[in-house]
Amino acid sequence: MALIEVKNLCVEFPTRHATLKALRGVNFSIEKGERLGIVGESGAGKSLSAFAMLNLLSKPGRIAEGEILFEGQDLSKLNDDEMRSIRGNRISMIFQDPMMTLNPVLTIGTQMVETLQAHRKISKAAARLIAIDRLNEVRIPSAEERLESYPHELSGGMRQRVVIAIALLTEPVLIIADEPTTALDVTIQAEIMSLMLDLCKTHNVGLILITHDLAVVSQVTQKVIVMYAGRVVEQGATRAVIENPRHPYTRGLMAALPQQNTPGKRLFQIPGSMPTLDAMPDGCAFNPRCEHVGDDCRNKMPKLDSFEGHLVRCHKAEELQIKGEKS
Amino acid sequence: MKRLKKFLASDFFYQFKSDKMAIVSFTIIFTFVTLAVLAPLISPYNPHDPSQIDLMDSEIPPVWDHNADEEPDARFWLGTDQQGRDMFSAILYGLRISLIIGIFAVAVQMVIGIAIGLISGYVGGRVDAFFMRLADIQLSLSTMMIAIIGLAIFQATFGAELYEEMAVFMLVLVIGIAEWPQYARTVRASVLAERNKEYVDAARVIGLSSPIIMVRHILPNTLSPLLVISTVQVANAIISEAALSFLGLGMPVTMPSLGSLISSGFEYIFSGSWWITTIPAFVLILLILMINLLGDWLRDVLNPKLYKG
Repeated sequence: MALIEVKNLCVEFPTRHATLKALRGVNFSIEKGERLGIVGESGAGKSLSAFAMLNLLSKPGRIAEGEILFEGQDLSKLNDDEMRSIRGNRISMIFQDPMMTLNPVLTIGTQMVETLQAHRKISKAAARLIAIDRLNEVRIPSAEERLESYPHELSGGMRQRVVIAIALLTEPVLIIADEPTTALDVTIQAEIMSLMLDLCKTHNVGLILITHDLAVVSQVTQKVIVMYAGRVVEQGATRAVIENPRHPYTRGLMAALPQQNTPGKRLFQIPGSMPTLDAMPDGCAFNPRCEHVGDDCRNKMPKLDSFEGHLVRCHKAEELQIKGEKS
Repeated sequence: MKRLKKFLASDFFYQFKSDKMAIVSFTIIFTFVTLAVLAPLISPYNPHDPSQIDLMDSEIPPVWDHNADEEPDARFWLGTDQQGRDMFSAILYGLRISLIIGIFAVAVQMVIGIAIGLISGYVGGRVDAFFMRLADIQLSLSTMMIAIIGLAIFQATFGAELYEEMAVFMLVLVIGIAEWPQYARTVRASVLAERNKEYVDAARVIGLSSPIIMVRHILPNTLSPLLVISTVQVANAIISEAALSFLGLGMPVTMPSLGSLISSGFEYIFSGSWWITTIPAFVLILLILMINLLGDWLRDVLNPKLYKG
């Protein structure tokens, strides 16, 4: 049985004027210890999928359709108490900005002990021992002293390590990391990423990595989902998708990566920006920005079809493949 | 010991050391509080005990103000009032009562205000609207008005004797209830600002329940404005009590607070016995002034935007 299986997840925001569909039919599954990347630009629905999985959508957002089967249990149907016993215990989450996710007025130790005590009947002293253990594991020097530190006394990288340590405290089986390295500088990013990879491997923890950094995804994950305007546009094994992207959007993202072997050339850019939820174009949502757009694309939403071992949502996938081989 | 060391090395203490006004006001308040706490040990007489009062001693002036033909009375260095009570003892005991009422009334305000403010801010929606309109209504009636009505009704229904026994309790309650919106509004405003910060989301993701998030995570982040208004509120509560006592609705003459001392000496001010009213008034003014100055200093220190470096 899959660790977590998301089936046809739809999220909508009923507003005064219209019901905005922010997430339309996302499907994926993760086995124990497997790592999945979710890629896409801001507003594509990456973080929303994560929040929906943990039942943490802010009002008026709600899950309109679909199932989130975590170890066979549908998370979308649990009540608050049942959900609380899973959040932070079986599934942890790591946020983007470590400056903001730690409470500024509580010591690191207090926050860690509190997390443990929320889920286990455990004494303060025992909880502290576990906390020190985890801090050592994320390679924080003199862990015991750090327990007495306040968040503002630590650097950004240290803080993100603490956040990771907190996420690992209760030995979860799945960690959702929402752009965990975006707020850090580049050298620290690499350190934190490799640390997370190591920890996931040693603890055999599943990881959902939400990011817009394709390089990170290719190094860390085994599966990848590319999202655009609330829909999955390409999905499959990371290697297959990165090496042979079929959707024009994925290709655009790949082409926009800075390459060392073409210095002096202007970087590729996908023209325009993502449509807003209340102004979706007819047909394929990507058609106004797509260079291969045809009549079909303007009228009909393409299906998520299988091409060479991974799923692509594009009318022109086949054509593009031939073109790509010619050039 | 470790905590004390940490405190002495802290920025807060450094700011305190380098501000003369803060040191002076804190010292004076600290002295007053000590005097009030130790009143039974320090004061030569017990002003609450009628057997220690002799009418023959009434209206003796303070030691430095005696007439040329009289010997100064060394027993009463601040003089006596119209009933022969030693003013020094009466002021110490009065200070004690005033401070007790001020501090406990603020404690009542805090408990009510913080609870309502946290719930309104965190839950929002209708709950918030209900409590905040309640606060608006409460604020549109002045504290004095609520207190006067409440105390007058109590006196009328239960009689003055029972009132005299329960005066401290009633004053704390009435002043406490009349001023809770100050706290509720301050807490709510801070909670609204804190609620959307990521650490609150993080706390929810960790799986903590709403009451724990409110009390353990959000409340500590709203403490600095609370500390500042607390100083002002203590001063306000003491003033309210003094005003009520002056109007005859506060502490009875047998157990005088600073306000009732001022009130009872008021009639004698033009007959030459100025000290009965003036000295307690001076103590009251000094106390309030110092509390307010300390509050101002706290506000400056705790507000990073006004950081003086």
